[in-house]
Amino acid sequence: MFFLKELEKTIQLHPSYFGPLIRSHIHKELLQKEEGSSTGKYTIVCILDSFDISDGQVMPGSGSAEYTVHYKAIVWRPYKGEVMDGIVTSILPSGFFVDCGSLQAFVGRNMIPSDIKFEGNAAPPQWTDGADQVIEKGTNIRIKIKGIRSEVDKMYAVGTMKEDYLGPLSQ
Amino acid sequence: MSDYGGDDGGFDDGGYDSGGAIDFDEEAEPEVMDDVDDAEGGEDPEVDDNIVVSGDASAAAASKDKVKNSVDAEKEKKVPNENRTTTPYMTKYEKARVLGTRALQISGNAPVLIDVEGMTDPLQIAAKELREKKIPLVVRRYLPDGFYEDWTCEELLI
Repeated sequence: MFFLKELEKTIQLHPSYFGPLIRSHIHKELLQKEEGSSTGKYTIVCILDSFDISDGQVMPGSGSAEYTVHYKAIVWRPYKGEVMDGIVTSILPSGFFVDCGSLQAFVGRNMIPSDIKFEGNAAPPQWTDGADQVIEKGTNIRIKIKGIRSEVDKMYAVGTMKEDYLGPLSQ
Repeated sequence: MSDYGGDDGGFDDGGYDSGGAIDFDEEAEPEVMDDVDDAEGGEDPEVDDNIVVSGDASAAAASKDKVKNSVDAEKEKKVPNENRTTTPYMTKYEKARVLGTRALQISGNAPVLIDVEGMTDPLQIAAKELREKKIPLVVRRYLPDGFYEDWTCEELLI
């Protein structure tokens, strides 16, 4: 689900960046470092344009300036039970991995409908029911999140395909 | 969910008020309300009886968030320039810190604001900048109560 969240970030600038363009440099640095980053709880999707930059403070001993920036951002946080679309990144006999934006999800064998079987002899390996449902690397797929594990800067999920309207999307 | 509970309580309260609009009844009222609360299994204890929760919920959330805005919080602690009380002279400690910091920045390739005339020693360049009042630093003097005064190097007397 997407949220609007107020966040803060401290940015340190080396003396060589001082000058009239310092604000645009802070802006650039903020977008570069924060957009797309994940905290383990949510991913920052987009930083909104209006933000507060504090006065710079000199760091003792290094001469750099430290700025605190208060900004609003659109963040994305996956929830258990959420249905989402992703792209299959790798196929294994035990299941397959799906990338849903910043979230990597694994769909295990038990979470795949029993009529879809692993086909290791196909030329890329695939999960298929022998008809129109083919899951191979690069397939667009819809899954439902069964559980989420967060680590320091990344989230991992276990997904399922064993429900109505889940599975590979028609191209 | 507790929000809804709070709102319900406020609404009941208002209804009751308009029904029996006699002043001396007010003392008895809270007891009645308390009884009702207990019977219902109790509402949020943090909600005061005499506060009716109303208005824009998102505005209330925004005002709560304001506290977390450390940029604004810091700016609120500033003493306005016309109300400053500390000495207009740059103390020897401030001078040492300013010169040292500026020399370090110049040695780190910060843009220089004066004509260097072939000088290569960052400390000498910093000293000349200070003499010409061109150092772009601000001395922030913190007071014991957490407020602070900002003095630019340009206005401080040496």
